[in-house]
Amino acid sequence: MRDAALWAAGAALAFLLTAGAFLFLANLATGSSAEDLPATPARGKPGPALDLDLNRDRLASLEPAPDQELLLTVENAGGKDFSNVNLTLESSSEDTANPRSRYYRRTLRDLKAGENVEVGFLLNLSEQPQASGAPTAPDERSEILEIRATTPEGVSVIRTAILPL
Amino acid sequence: MRGLLVAACASVTVLLAGCAHPAAEDPIQPLPPAEGRVNSGLGPEARPLSSGPGYKGSPSWSLGGDRVAFIVDGYVVDRTVDGEQLTRWTTKDFVAAEAEWTADGTLTMLGGAGAVEGKPGAVYRTDSKEGSLGVEKMAEDVLAMTPGPEHKDVVLALEAGADESAVALLRAGRMERVYTGTVPGTVTAVSPSPDGDRVALAVRTPGESRSGELHVFDLRSGEARKISELEDDRSILGAPQWTERGIYFVAGAMSSPADDGEPLYDLYRTEPEPGEPEPAPGVGEDFVAGGARVSPEGDRLAVVGRLNSKSPLNLYVLNLTTGNFDAVTTNEDMEIKTGADDLAWSPAGTSVAIVARGTSSGEPEVRAAPADELLDAFYNLYEVPITTPEPPEAPR
Repeated sequence: MRDAALWAAGAALAFLLTAGAFLFLANLATGSSAEDLPATPARGKPGPALDLDLNRDRLASLEPAPDQELLLTVENAGGKDFSNVNLTLESSSEDTANPRSRYYRRTLRDLKAGENVEVGFLLNLSEQPQASGAPTAPDERSEILEIRATTPEGVSVIRTAILPL
Repeated sequence: MRGLLVAACASVTVLLAGCAHPAAEDPIQPLPPAEGRVNSGLGPEARPLSSGPGYKGSPSWSLGGDRVAFIVDGYVVDRTVDGEQLTRWTTKDFVAAEAEWTADGTLTMLGGAGAVEGKPGAVYRTDSKEGSLGVEKMAEDVLAMTPGPEHKDVVLALEAGADESAVALLRAGRMERVYTGTVPGTVTAVSPSPDGDRVALAVRTPGESRSGELHVFDLRSGEARKISELEDDRSILGAPQWTERGIYFVAGAMSSPADDGEPLYDLYRTEPEPGEPEPAPGVGEDFVAGGARVSPEGDRLAVVGRLNSKSPLNLYVLNLTTGNFDAVTTNEDMEIKTGADDLAWSPAGTSVAIVARGTSSGEPEVRAAPADELLDAFYNLYEVPITTPEPPEAPR
């Protein structure tokens, strides 16, 4: 009887010790959920809580002219507030020999969790002379709008719009 | 007490054995984003050789097969096939129409604003020092060029007068020979015979706007002779391809506006002797041909085209020995470039580089990746492996 009790107690003790060790090792391997966010998010990898909505109809209304207003919606789809959201927009030609690129920047303050805000950019999409006499694509050249949103917390999202102007 | 120790050890052993991860259950890496994947119609083993914006063309494999040079918006770059290292060889305002690797490890380029419009240009050579954007002009008034079979020489067709062309030979960056014998008309394309002793020339005759004649120029004797003259307003597209089974070329006429204005070109074959070209056997009478390139061994022909005028563009390989005509890609929604210089065989004959992009809807598109990582949004280069079926085993 005493031996059986000792066996049972020993098995329970060993189970607890081993389970504790595995829990400790598992915690070391994964870390806390907050640490999962990379300090510098990989390029092009959308952040988990930030979204950019580019309305197609609005994009379709853009013309190759100055003072073109692009409206986009920035959404905090996560559960935490963002103190800042930095927005950068690069406008360039599909013709990579054309050195012209235009850069635009906006900053949003205090984007609450679940909130979405419409942001406007006034773009100069006027046509540039072709950089060289190089052969071109058979159809119209496109304008490329690359929009990045980043937060100090390390969340980022990127969208590339291709406009056949 | 000993019983307690034994029980503890047994429990630990059982728990460790149960919780250990077998090697096969390593974490699976996430799939790359959709924008980084090659369109499945180009084949399961096709892989991109470029990405991002830019109008690309004229791929050329280095002799070792480890690099591919190509033209982007007029300037010349090359990329290592495995390492993705991109090197630009000219300034961005350079205007190249064609770029070819030569045996000395430099690139020979036909360039100049006129060259991309079918007018004479100049031939340049890149600096052998990687990273240098300097180029050396080697010849002017160049109508067309082609490297020889081993890429030691470059054969040039030169403008020799108002409706007359000459042939010259470049070797190691120097003008080795300018032949005195001339060709009546304007040479629009040139390609070497498998042994390198002769070249086939597509020629535009005086007063014509189309390249309707096929000539052969002997590089040993310096003599040229006409072997074919096309009728019915047909024009030769690009360079004729001199194979072990004759000279193949793509020719046709612009279709009527009722046919959407798309040119309907056919693939032809002729002997390198005076005679009438015949439709290339094996491809089918409805086949619409675009660019064509002979394999390094001279026994196969890669052709971009459509099985009929309503079919999607695909890459096909015509085995000139067996007559088999096989589709290499099963594309339905990519625009594969059909330019005469927009496909190239690897030196080992194991793959072909093509240029393609996704069909444009004409509407704005939004992608969740940086522009320079996008593939099918722009014209990009792809390496498409060519598998040659083993010949059936002979009965014993």
